[in-house]
Amino acid sequence: MKKMSFPITIACLFILLILTVGICVSVGTMKIPILETYTVLIEKIFQLELVANSTASGVIWQIRFPRVLMGIVIGAGLALCGVVMQAIVQNPLADPYLLGISSGGYLGATLFIILGGSSLGFLGAMGISATAFLGALAAAVAVLTLASYKSNMTTTKLILSGTIINAACTAAANFVMAISGTDSTIARITFWTMGSLSSAKWESLLVPLCAVVMASTFLMTQYRPLNAMLQGDETAITLGINIHFYRRLYMVVVALLTGILVSTTGIIGFVGLIIPHIARALIGANHRRLIPVSILTGAIFLTGVDALARTIIENVELPIGIFTALVGAPFFAYIMIKKSYNFSNE
Amino acid sequence: MDLRLDGVEIDIGTKKIIHGIDLSVLQNSFVALLGPNGSGKSTLLKAIYRVLRPSQGVIYLNDLSIDQIPVRKIAQNLSVVSQFQSNHFDFTVEEVVMMGRTPHLKKLEKESKKDYEIVEDALHKTGLSEYKNRNILSLSGGEKQRVALARAIAQCPSLMILDEPSNHLDIKYQLEILSIIKNLNINVLAALHDITLAAQFSDYIYFLKEGEVVCHGIPEKVITKETLKEIYEVDCEIFHDPRTKSMCISYYRKGVMIGGAT
Repeated sequence: MKKMSFPITIACLFILLILTVGICVSVGTMKIPILETYTVLIEKIFQLELVANSTASGVIWQIRFPRVLMGIVIGAGLALCGVVMQAIVQNPLADPYLLGISSGGYLGATLFIILGGSSLGFLGAMGISATAFLGALAAAVAVLTLASYKSNMTTTKLILSGTIINAACTAAANFVMAISGTDSTIARITFWTMGSLSSAKWESLLVPLCAVVMASTFLMTQYRPLNAMLQGDETAITLGINIHFYRRLYMVVVALLTGILVSTTGIIGFVGLIIPHIARALIGANHRRLIPVSILTGAIFLTGVDALARTIIENVELPIGIFTALVGAPFFAYIMIKKSYNFSNE
Repeated sequence: MDLRLDGVEIDIGTKKIIHGIDLSVLQNSFVALLGPNGSGKSTLLKAIYRVLRPSQGVIYLNDLSIDQIPVRKIAQNLSVVSQFQSNHFDFTVEEVVMMGRTPHLKKLEKESKKDYEIVEDALHKTGLSEYKNRNILSLSGGEKQRVALARAIAQCPSLMILDEPSNHLDIKYQLEILSIIKNLNINVLAALHDITLAAQFSDYIYFLKEGEVVCHGIPEKVITKETLKEIYEVDCEIFHDPRTKSMCISYYRKGVMIGGAT
């Protein structure tokens, strides 16, 4: 497929992102004309007084815009982690949750919900995000340790270790749930595992936003080692890349970022898997261009899907994970069927 | 850059694959590594390009042990064309060849005009100029092999390691690739399968069997009926082309009478 030029792609995606933001802020139980949305946003961002007191101002600025921003941040972050993860393990089927982060987070969240905050001591006091984050991190550490135990980390060992830890954490969480879950706690856990942006507020944005900005700034400078990694370990070494060091470094960055994302919104699946593929179909596999395009695509995708999740049934907020898969799967299938995109030559 | 191996032994797991090998590649010569499957050619080469670590002995590049040289520094002088090219992601041919410039570029340095000229030249040398914008995944095995060679050339090495570089190629490209490499006029250490080609292109040959050097020397000296019998366990006759004087080998099947001998 003829790839679009990089500046044009970025420009198009930017315009699309701004449109998505406008539309997603406007839709909902209270319908707001899109022009009013943009006016209020511009007014607030640049601290101007364009229209005297739009009635929707509060809804836009306090409720919907933080949520849309959260969608942008989480979508961008998951897409970024997916791209880097696929490069690290040289496998187009990898996603950010390969490191056991989702199931570690699941275990952490389950313990919090079932045992209750008070019984977990100071951990409990910090809330479900903290326990989920710690669970995610512990799982990632376990995966990395297992994969590099007594020898160099290989991609196969990494994938297997991820599978093992994922299974173990999920089993542990399910065990706790089976032993002492009640209808209401199980419902909360299920909701958590499907992810949701509904808790987004200005205050809760800060941590994931900073994490995504820092991680993407760093990883965007790493396109050469990442490209070399995609050529296989041996080739990367012969190109002068210390593969063991870089793989570990990127993995730590991805683990921390994914841990933060998961603890903020629960497990939002599929974004980290499909967005890198969509971005590659748009611009190719070179990370210099792929990372920025993935970040933008991920942001647009998740924001749009979230709007769908909260508007498709009136007054009912559905978990976003349902829609990332529901929208993503057919889209992914289409990309796979199209012959021009060969993500694997086998 | 000169290469010298001093008593190199390599273990994989608990098995000793290479037993004490001394070898050198000096003064821009083309050195061939020959031997049957499983003789340890690839293993030995991997230790030189640092994918494996010798359990004993030292590998020197210009009299410095490779353990003392940073990986990137090595990659500025040594490039590798290996047997298998794994490419699961769609890059253009030009992008892959440009990766050969990786060791020469600082992390955020943009590729200069010179880098593009080097890539252009490498593509030209390997007959890939037309393929520049093609997707690497759409190429055949042989074409991918040439892309790998172009990338290795773009690295501007003074020592090139080749692990059966002409494996997937038809005879035209085998000859072409080996000629290109020969004309680079740098030190080359190549594991080869085809003894006739090795005789044509190399200045010096090492014969490997079961992880040991059985014999070494200039091609005319070491490629004899006797050594081939000893190393490959096949009977053969060696002729010389009446025009080029280059060596031709005719192999005999087991049990087939050697003409006129009985």
